[in-house]
Amino acid sequence: MKRFLLATALGFGVLLGAAWAQRAPSAAYDNSRKMSLKGVVTRIDWVTPSAFFSVNIQDANGTVANWAVEFGNPLDLEKDGWKRTALNIGDVVSVDGIPARDTRRQVLATSIVLAKTGAKLFTAKAKAAAKGKSQPAPRWPDGHVRLGPPPGKKGYWGPPSSTVLVDSTAGNISMNRDGLLNNILDADKVAPFQPWAKAAYEYRQRTLFKDDPYNRCMPPGGVRHFQSPQGFQFVEQPEVGRVLILLGGGDRNWRIVYTDGRPVGNKEDLVLAYYGTSVGHWEGDTLVVDTVGFNEKFWFSNGGLPHTESLHLTERFTRTDLNTLRYQVTVDDTKTYTRPWTGGWTIQWVPDEEIQEYFCEENAESTFIRN
Amino acid sequence: MRRRVFQLGFLLACITVAIPAQQGHPLTGTWNGDWGASPTDRHQLTVVMTWDGKAAKGVINPGADSATAAVTLDPVNWMVRIEADVKDAAGKPVHLVAEGKMEDMGSYHRTVTGSWKQGAVNGNFKLTRD
Repeated sequence: MKRFLLATALGFGVLLGAAWAQRAPSAAYDNSRKMSLKGVVTRIDWVTPSAFFSVNIQDANGTVANWAVEFGNPLDLEKDGWKRTALNIGDVVSVDGIPARDTRRQVLATSIVLAKTGAKLFTAKAKAAAKGKSQPAPRWPDGHVRLGPPPGKKGYWGPPSSTVLVDSTAGNISMNRDGLLNNILDADKVAPFQPWAKAAYEYRQRTLFKDDPYNRCMPPGGVRHFQSPQGFQFVEQPEVGRVLILLGGGDRNWRIVYTDGRPVGNKEDLVLAYYGTSVGHWEGDTLVVDTVGFNEKFWFSNGGLPHTESLHLTERFTRTDLNTLRYQVTVDDTKTYTRPWTGGWTIQWVPDEEIQEYFCEENAESTFIRN
Repeated sequence: MRRRVFQLGFLLACITVAIPAQQGHPLTGTWNGDWGASPTDRHQLTVVMTWDGKAAKGVINPGADSATAAVTLDPVNWMVRIEADVKDAAGKPVHLVAEGKMEDMGSYHRTVTGSWKQGAVNGNFKLTRD
C-alpha cells in the first residue's frame, strides 16, 4: 500500500511539475511584491525554458529553508556570454526578486550578486538590433523573396515586436508581455468577442492563466508559436510544393504549408490538430497561408483568447527587407467572434545563428525534483 | 500483485492529470452524471452538448430514447439552463427544466450542478464533463 501511495504521489508530482514547466511570469509571480534573500547555493538547474538554482536561507532562529530562484533562459544567458559555471554549489549569493504568487518558496530574480566578489551575475546585454543598415530581402533565382537565410548564410526569425494579439482597430491597450491586461475593463477592445468568449477570456485573465495548456507543455498552436522568443525558421521546398516552418519554441515542432495548389479542405474531413492544416500561395512578395482544422486543446495566443474548431487563420508573411518579417493574421471564427478581425507584428532576423534547442519538459523534470 | 497495483497507481495518477482540456465553448462535449429526487433515487444522465455559434443544444441520453434539449449559458454567472420534452418512466411525455451553475470553468472536468424538474418531480442533478 505504501508503494501504491508513493507511486500515486510520484505520478501526480511529475505532472504537477509539468504544470509549471513554462508558466507565464505574470501568472507565477506577484509583481506587486519584492523580496531579498541571502544564502548558500545548493543546486543548479541549467535547463530551458528557465534556469533555476536553489539556496538555503537561514532565518534569525537558525531555521534553514530551501528556496528556488528562477533566473532566465539559459539559451539567452549563453548568448549574453554567461556559462553555468558562473555560479557553483556552495557559493553565497544575495538575490533580489519577485516572490511566487502562491505559498511555494520560489522567487524570480531581478538581481543576483556573488558575495565573495560582489559581481553581479546573469545580467542581460542590451539586445543588439540586426547589424548594419537595412539590406534588401534575398531572392530566389525566379525572383521570389526568400523567407530563409541568403545562400550560404545562417539565421532565423527571432523575437517578435509584440507577444500579444489584439484587433488592429482596438487602439492602445495596456497589457504585459504575457497578455495580462492592466485593466480588465479593456477586454472588450481586445477582440470582437461573442458574450461567452468574452466571459471565458476574462475568466482566464482573472485566474492568471492557471488553466493555460501551454503551462503543461502543450504545443503553442495558432499564432502563439510566432509569439515565442525562441523563434522559427522557414524551409522552402518549391520542388515538392511546400514550405516547412520549423519552430524554436514548443518543443521544436513544425508546420507544413502546402503550396502546390491543393485546397485547404473541409474541417469535417481533417484530423483536428494543434497547428491545423495549412495551404499557401504567393501574392507578390507575400506568402499567404490559410489554416483550418484546429483542435480546441490549446490557447491560440498569449493572453487567453478562446477559439473553437471553426477557427480559420489567414496569415500573411512579408519580408520587407533582409532583417524584417511583417506578420499579419486574420482571425475568422464565427462561433467565438462576431466578425473576422486582424492583428499582427514584425519579427526580427537573427543572423548567423541557428534555432537553439528548447524542450519544455526539461524544465518540468527539474521542477518536479525541486518540489 | 503489489507491483501491478503500484504500476496501475502510477499510470492512473499520470493519466488523471495529463488529460488536455477542451478549451473551446465551455458547454461543448459529453457530460455525465445523474439526477433524482433524493440521494437514493438517482437516474443516470448523459448530455452531449454542442455550440453552433448562435445556440447550444443537447442530446439527453443518446440512443433510442434520446431527447433534444435547448441549452442556454448565461456567461455572466455561468448559469446553465437545459429544457426538453422527455418521457417519464411510464412513457408519458413530460417537460423537464434543469438549471445549474457551472463550476471550475477552466477545468476539463468542469461541473454543472443545480435543480432538475421533470414533470411533477423536483430534484437535483450534477453533470461532469467527461
